[in-house]
Amino acid sequence: MRVPYNVNVVRVMCVGRIDPALVLETFANGADGVMLAGCKPPDCHFVDGNLHAERAVKMLKKLLALAGLGAERVKLVWASPLEEKNLGDYAKDFSEEIWKLGNSPLKNPVLAPKIMANIDAAKNAASEFRLRVLLGREEELTEFLNAYGEKISKEEFDALLEEIVKAEFIRYKIHYLAKAKPLSVKELAEAVGIKPSAVLRHITNMRRKGLIALDKVEGNTPLYKALEVH
Amino acid sequence: MEKNLQKVRKLPPCRAACSALVNVQAYVSLIQRGKFKEAVEVIRKDMPFPAICGRVCFSPCEDACARVNVDQAVAIRALKRLVADIEREQGRVKPEPVPKKYSEKVAIIGAGPAGLAAAYELAKLGYPVTVFERMAEPGGMMRYCIPDFRLEKFVVANEIAYIKDIGVEIKNGVEFGKDITLESLKNDGYKAIFIAIGTQLGMKLNVPGEELEGVVNAVDFLKALALGKPIKVGERVAVIGGGNTAIDAARTAKKLGAKEVIILYRRSREEMPALPHEVELAEKDGVKFYFLVAPKQIIGENGKVKAVECLKMRLGEPDESGRRRPIPISFSEHLYEVDMVIPALGQVAETSSLPPELLSKEKRGSPIPYDPQTLETNIPGVFVGGDLATGPASIIEAVGAGKRAAVSIHLYLTGQDLLKGRDENIEEVTWVKDWSPLGKKARRYDPPIEKPHLSFEEAVEYLEELKQKARFEAFRCLGCGPCAECLAGIDLCEGDKAVVDENKCVGCNVCAVVCPVGAVKKDEKGIARVNEDLCKGCGLCAARCPEQAITMKKLSNEQILALALATSKR
Repeated sequence: MRVPYNVNVVRVMCVGRIDPALVLETFANGADGVMLAGCKPPDCHFVDGNLHAERAVKMLKKLLALAGLGAERVKLVWASPLEEKNLGDYAKDFSEEIWKLGNSPLKNPVLAPKIMANIDAAKNAASEFRLRVLLGREEELTEFLNAYGEKISKEEFDALLEEIVKAEFIRYKIHYLAKAKPLSVKELAEAVGIKPSAVLRHITNMRRKGLIALDKVEGNTPLYKALEVH
Repeated sequence: MEKNLQKVRKLPPCRAACSALVNVQAYVSLIQRGKFKEAVEVIRKDMPFPAICGRVCFSPCEDACARVNVDQAVAIRALKRLVADIEREQGRVKPEPVPKKYSEKVAIIGAGPAGLAAAYELAKLGYPVTVFERMAEPGGMMRYCIPDFRLEKFVVANEIAYIKDIGVEIKNGVEFGKDITLESLKNDGYKAIFIAIGTQLGMKLNVPGEELEGVVNAVDFLKALALGKPIKVGERVAVIGGGNTAIDAARTAKKLGAKEVIILYRRSREEMPALPHEVELAEKDGVKFYFLVAPKQIIGENGKVKAVECLKMRLGEPDESGRRRPIPISFSEHLYEVDMVIPALGQVAETSSLPPELLSKEKRGSPIPYDPQTLETNIPGVFVGGDLATGPASIIEAVGAGKRAAVSIHLYLTGQDLLKGRDENIEEVTWVKDWSPLGKKARRYDPPIEKPHLSFEEAVEYLEELKQKARFEAFRCLGCGPCAECLAGIDLCEGDKAVVDENKCVGCNVCAVVCPVGAVKKDEKGIARVNEDLCKGCGLCAARCPEQAITMKKLSNEQILALALATSKR
């Protein structure tokens, strides 16, 4: 199989093997694009690993958009061993798409710090327990019944996922920013780009989870500092 | 509590059902990916007759195939035939003779599937092997009994050529008991002997009139055809029996020009041992079946067969074979007007050529007493197997016996315990247990490949289409077992396994939910545990675990990252 010179190929047993956090780590290390190739449904050798990958990429695109890298930098293709178009062709197409998008903004020295913070937040969000549980159980919840005998519609689920992805991303962004030095709600709101009331809500949640703590009070303003994430 | 220390080898149902333990899952996986040549190599690792079994095996693998619970078994035999035929058509690289590692000579009596399989295994180990065969050509029943329209002689010759190429010597026209004996073989320096002469005598009907002209035993009938002797086929032929030999004889008679061919069987259609698709083909050829009838006598005129008188039968209690015993109904005599009767009742061994010291005193059972695990007789160094030992069975069972004999001979010649390594139990393993969700998850395609009755010409003509069909058919395989070990050099799958870090696991059960084969489950303590016999190393659990508590033994996340970021390339 021949791929363009700028493409690295990693063979795994199933495309569902790829942890979204790993993809974000790859971007954090300077990759301009990541393509996942899986067996076309319903050919998955492991029944539905390819569908798991589909869900993971759905989430990745959201996170990459939030991070400012762009959703198009990650792509999932179905490369069936039973079809003419082979992996090399897909790699070539993707490589051209990425050329058009240009270098990852991480390589831009002006943007780099902000993008790095974003990717870090995205990676942590993708490693976050409740998001991973949601992804892992999507099929179960939308196609079968939950513990209460209820079935969740696809739209409901997607809306839920959207909300949680955003929330986790913002929380970890706050966490990243509050690592260097203690920050106030107002400062955080400006840096992240959301309303102070929203920041406070997140902080309340994060305090409960042990991600952030009150550091000190300057005058009337509480300052929060991020705690180590184990 | 005593631990069961018996070794258990866990295999998918297809492989567990095969007498020769052919790695079915492996070669089906290879066919999925279009690796037809590699598929044949995998088959040849376990047995030397892919093209033969691809045509005439009774495929216990298909009977065991778990897919049968979804729609229909995977057409394993058809796939085997296809890859073997592709190999023959494209030509295979002639194998090099295996270098002789040992000096002890091994003699094998009988070049049927059991003898040849034993020779094959021993030659691969490095023993000098000579197979002594009575007939002019090797192959046994494969060459001399199964008709050409089922199994072409050039196919048999081609398969045996491989065995000769790796260094097995075959001496034809040598009769055991006459030209060679146990004594003479010992004097010639053979250190171990495997007797596999099969069952060459057709069983008699034992009814009056059997000596009339026109009564030809099925085995003699088919052998004469195979030898190219002129056979006179009657106008109306009655074949007595219900096995594959009866079907073969009946179809042969029809093809040779008999106007009417009937098969008389004493039980019902369901009890017929013949393969169902062979019965169908016989019916398509115009053979008529009469069930629950058995001959009482053969009536002749001027010394020739004129009719066969039969009694109607009813089925009583099961006999020792497990099938219901046929009981004659009094006063139900009726006639079939035929001019040829072909009894096809089964075969027995020719014991006249066997040394008396080996023979059994009992009338029933194997003519030569032997240990079923090691195949040794009461003479050390002399082994027996195949149809001779078990009674008429099948090619694949004979191959299994040949392999077993080869192991025994190797252990014997290297002075080891013949029971070494034999205490292994085969256990069937499949992840496909609960069928209800499978309906949704099973890969569904066009109906499976028709059972293979394409002639060689048709197969060649539609080869490309067949190849594609074969890949779709192979994709129907559910992959019951864990990593199929099809590789040894083929970079197709890494045979990875998942490992749970117990300290990180919180028992959320997501891994169990996403595992496609049910290999990860929570134990009594609520911690996820990986069943390595089922784990196929897909890594889904590792990718989804909310605590990232699962890692893959062979290809970790760190390794994937390193490969993804590698700066030194081509």
